Amino acid sequence: MASGWAERDDHELLAHVQSGGHDAFGALVRRHTERFYRLAYRYVQHKETAEDIVQDAFLKLWEDPGKWRPERNSKFTTWFYRIVVNLCLDWRKKKRPVALDEERPLPDERETQDAAMIRAQEQKILEREIAALPERQRTALNLCFDQDLSNQEAADVMGLNLKALQSLIMRAKTTLKERMQAYL
Amino acid sequence: MSDTHGEKLEELLRSRRFEPASPDLAERIVLKAQSIPQNQPISLTQWMKQLFAEFHLPKPAYVLACTLILGFAVGFYRPLDTIPDDADNIHVQSFLYADEEPL
Repeated sequence: MASGWAERDDHELLAHVQSGGHDAFGALVRRHTERFYRLAYRYVQHKETAEDIVQDAFLKLWEDPGKWRPERNSKFTTWFYRIVVNLCLDWRKKKRPVALDEERPLPDERETQDAAMIRAQEQKILEREIAALPERQRTALNLCFDQDLSNQEAADVMGLNLKALQSLIMRAKTTLKERMQAYL
Repeated sequence: MSDTHGEKLEELLRSRRFEPASPDLAERIVLKAQSIPQNQPISLTQWMKQLFAEFHLPKPAYVLACTLILGFAVGFYRPLDTIPDDADNIHVQSFLYADEEPL
């Protein structure tokens, strides 16, 4: 029976969660944890904090599954992205962002040491410049480039129309191009 | 030139690295949820039932008998307290009249 949950779509699982189905909740969590963690990580740049945020978001859903209204939200992920983004923004308001650990570059065994160092430097500058962007521009970039959402999906998550989202992305890219000229 | 910059930037944006989550993150969330009770949405009738259940008396006959005994005991123990004291009434009345005189 447990294997059957993985094949069901999000809406079906949520209907079961709303009637107390813990197995359905488990299937939903296993399906989406990675992508929401990745989004949270982009905001907080800290593994444990990102994990805590994702855990909080899912536990809120479990505690109060009535918050999910299928008639109001077309897609579970669109709705849940919003919840995760809001939790990340709340976290940022309360605490200062954690800087990327310079002594511990993120590993990639395919690259030589020099290339890895240059890449790590580029990444560090990029993260710093993204962090300096206005909140909405940053969210638009994270959703479109990191989560691979279509512009329309990202616009839905942010509650914007398509043109407004495209404008945010264009402004963000222009700023980044200017600030990262030396690295491009 | 600008296009090349744009392409390089997009490439950088798409290849941003991140520290992978702990492999047991999903399982931890699922386990933690097991210890948290769910707030199920309740209907008005369910709410009413719950409200009445709060006032449910496990042994109503005993409660009624105890209340009656307590009531009689209190009634017999202080029967004179309820009789009005005339002296007090006079004092109160004179006080009230005295207050009205300046008007």
